[in-house]
Amino acid sequence: MAKALFVLTLWLCTSLSTLAATPPKKPPTWGELASEQQRILAPLSDDWDNFEPQRKRNWIGIAKRYPNMKPDEQARVQRRMQAWAKLTPKERDAARARYKKMEKLPQQRKEGLKGQWEEYNRLPEQERRKLGSTPRKPSAAAPKVKPPATASPEQTAPPEVAPAPGPDR
Amino acid sequence: MNEQQIAYRIKQCLNRGLELDAGKLVRLKAAREQALARQRVESRIPVLAWAGNIIGKSGGPSALVPRVLLPMAVLILGLIAINHWRDSQLAAEIEEIDAAVLTGDLPLDAYLDKGFDAWLKHSSY
Repeated sequence: MAKALFVLTLWLCTSLSTLAATPPKKPPTWGELASEQQRILAPLSDDWDNFEPQRKRNWIGIAKRYPNMKPDEQARVQRRMQAWAKLTPKERDAARARYKKMEKLPQQRKEGLKGQWEEYNRLPEQERRKLGSTPRKPSAAAPKVKPPATASPEQTAPPEVAPAPGPDR
Repeated sequence: MNEQQIAYRIKQCLNRGLELDAGKLVRLKAAREQALARQRVESRIPVLAWAGNIIGKSGGPSALVPRVLLPMAVLILGLIAINHWRDSQLAAEIEEIDAAVLTGDLPLDAYLDKGFDAWLKHSSY
């Protein structure tokens, strides 16, 4: 009995240490991605191999959701992917935090956000600056993207960023 | 008559002096050595008793496995599992948010612009 327990414990300990010591499966390099994944994540092809493992997993997860997205959502992902990836981790975290905050708004207000964004962009540049607005990254507004074949109809979609002409853009 | 009283009686008899034959002396010597040997074993027990609650008084070192190592291994396994679970939850949440930000009605700039955030707050956010 004691011997069996000892063996069990030993086995538990060794399996635990190997579990703790072995890093999780290495995510694929660009070349190792399935062709379907490459097609979806094409805008990231140049930067992919520099991504840290967790980011690769994140993008692979998004690529998995991609086929279930509506065509206009797929087009948005294609347009925004590169800009999102080019942001610094801090900027992405801040954006996620703002998204979470906006998600908590009542439905009615959430629906009005697009209109409010457009309204905000109609404010004079100086006023927006006063509120803390910083010059936007041009890449976030209009990234140059090679969209996948299936996304071609959405290529003609209007630019997603509301017009905000200003010397800093 | 308890043990102490018997011992006292024996001591008194011995003090008075005994004339014992060789056979009895040998048996007495053997009994003494046996008693001493037992005492040596017993004297170790207080040391073990220090950890008695953990190791177990009757089981000795063999009880170390079921009473200490096994729960410890289970605890560590539990902690590692919780850690993995928390990491995967966090990763899933980030993926969920990223997918929503990338597909949503609002452009990326809306989430990046501190001014918009402040402006929304200003207009009864």
